Amino acid sequence: MSIRSDFKSFLDVCGELFRFSLRFFRHGFQPPYEFSEFLKQCYVIGYKSLPLIGLTAFIMGIVLTMQLQPSMADYGVESQLPAIVAIAIVREVGPVITALIFAGKIGSSIGAELGSMKVTEQIDAMEVSGTNPFRYLVVTRVLACTFMLPVLVMLGDAISLYGAYLGVNIHTNTSFNLFWTQVFDNLVFGDVVPAFIKSFFFGFAVGIIGCYKGYNSSKGTEGVGRSANSAVVVSSVMIFIIDLLAVQVTNIFGY
Amino acid sequence: MARQTINNAKLGAFVLGGLLFLILLLYMIGRNRSLFGSTYLLKARFENVQGLIPGNNVRYAGIQAGTVKKIDILNDTTIEVSMIIETKMENIIRKDAITSIGTDGLVGNKVINIVPGRSNAAIAIEGDLLATKKALDTDEILNTLSNTNKDVAIIVSGLKSTVERINNSSALWTLLSDETIPADIRNSATNIRLATSKASMMTNDLHAIIGDIKDGKGSAGILLKDTAFAYNLNEAAMKMRSVGVQADNLSTQLNSLVSGIQNDINTGKGPANSLLKDTSMVNKLNKSLDNIQMGTDGFNQNMEALKKSFLFRGYFRRQEKQKEAAKRLP
Repeated sequence: MSIRSDFKSFLDVCGELFRFSLRFFRHGFQPPYEFSEFLKQCYVIGYKSLPLIGLTAFIMGIVLTMQLQPSMADYGVESQLPAIVAIAIVREVGPVITALIFAGKIGSSIGAELGSMKVTEQIDAMEVSGTNPFRYLVVTRVLACTFMLPVLVMLGDAISLYGAYLGVNIHTNTSFNLFWTQVFDNLVFGDVVPAFIKSFFFGFAVGIIGCYKGYNSSKGTEGVGRSANSAVVVSSVMIFIIDLLAVQVTNIFGY
Repeated sequence: MARQTINNAKLGAFVLGGLLFLILLLYMIGRNRSLFGSTYLLKARFENVQGLIPGNNVRYAGIQAGTVKKIDILNDTTIEVSMIIETKMENIIRKDAITSIGTDGLVGNKVINIVPGRSNAAIAIEGDLLATKKALDTDEILNTLSNTNKDVAIIVSGLKSTVERINNSSALWTLLSDETIPADIRNSATNIRLATSKASMMTNDLHAIIGDIKDGKGSAGILLKDTAFAYNLNEAAMKMRSVGVQADNLSTQLNSLVSGIQNDINTGKGPANSLLKDTSMVNKLNKSLDNIQMGTDGFNQNMEALKKSFLFRGYFRRQEKQKEAAKRLP
């Protein structure tokens, strides 16, 4: 395959993904709403991911604190450790790490689930039975991803900060009260709000890419595996691209 | 269906947990930025705000009292800072409180410090303009420190060379290590002790002499203590005074005599006056002098006649020869 055909296929995928997104918006905001399926997906996507997200966030909080501690001590600002860890977690580490884990868990599962449904022709059967498969399968999953990821990010931040509190206490003796005060004294809206908003975009990207890859899975079990794999890879890259855009937009607004 | 309900409860708890943390985060930040709760506004004007930005903390006597709301440039030298102050400070901050811009730690955020004024001014109300004090700029401190460092370096180098010279000076070390010096010093001390004992004896003698003088012994004692002597002295002084009085009289008499003479001269009595004042006498004298001159002319002619007469010619010749001999001789 030449570079040219590679590039053409890349543009093809971009175009299809864009049309897929438009289709999501067209179907997503029109009744009938598949509300119970949306709640079920929220439960599966959000609640079921919490243990994994919580564990990684907790470890991230401890590790980040312990990694920063020697440098902070070198500069003689060890007392500012809670503040800098809190800012790092809330602004960047929390949303991105959570979104990446989310992409790994949910992106692959959506890709595999929809891919296997496509392969086993369940989607076609659904269409025949009169249910709109796009509305039932895609819209609910994408919406669930979009709304659950910010919640996961918030909970992940909370768990990360608790991990950071334990991490700070490995080297120093900081009361929870002091830690709390230092964290919230140094956080501003400009740290929380952009991070919260961008996590919606992360969730949407993971959901839409997972669904697109699964919905357009090629035939055979191999196709299911490939769609699951590429869903994770593309959504992970997409998370970083969105992050890059988000940091520039927030800088424009002066945060 | 029962399973679905349980799922919903868990999902609800999950979502609520996330939202609660978000709300908590926003509330805590908002509370620190004084967005909630009642506040009032105070202002202060600075020449230089040194990097203060909206949201920086305002402290009253070190206690968090509010935040900076906005910073306006009024003109090229005046910058007005508006501060949101919590209502709990409303009865504490007075109109004469002084604001200054400081730093939270050495390299931390800028803060506005409000310190109480001296007098008991009225309580500051919404919109009041507080007095400001120019804060110490870190740059200025560092500049001063740098100058101090240079001075210290100069002093240290001077000290170093001094110490080196002391170390290299053999004379000093000889002096310090010389063991005869303590003995010398001890001798000196003994001498000093002797001298002081002598001085003490001398003082005793002096004391005795002064005692004698007090008692009137010796010439000094007499001078100071003998009353008869003093009486004699007094008498002598009185005599001297009477002599002085007599001399005074004498000079008065002399004075009157002189003035009398002067008067006589001026008024024309006696020979002196005629000598000095009478013009007729002068004429007479002139005539007499003319007569004398004529008389002498006649006499000269007689003398010439005599020289020429044979009777006396021999005498004159002999006289000329004697003169010439007197010239030749020396």
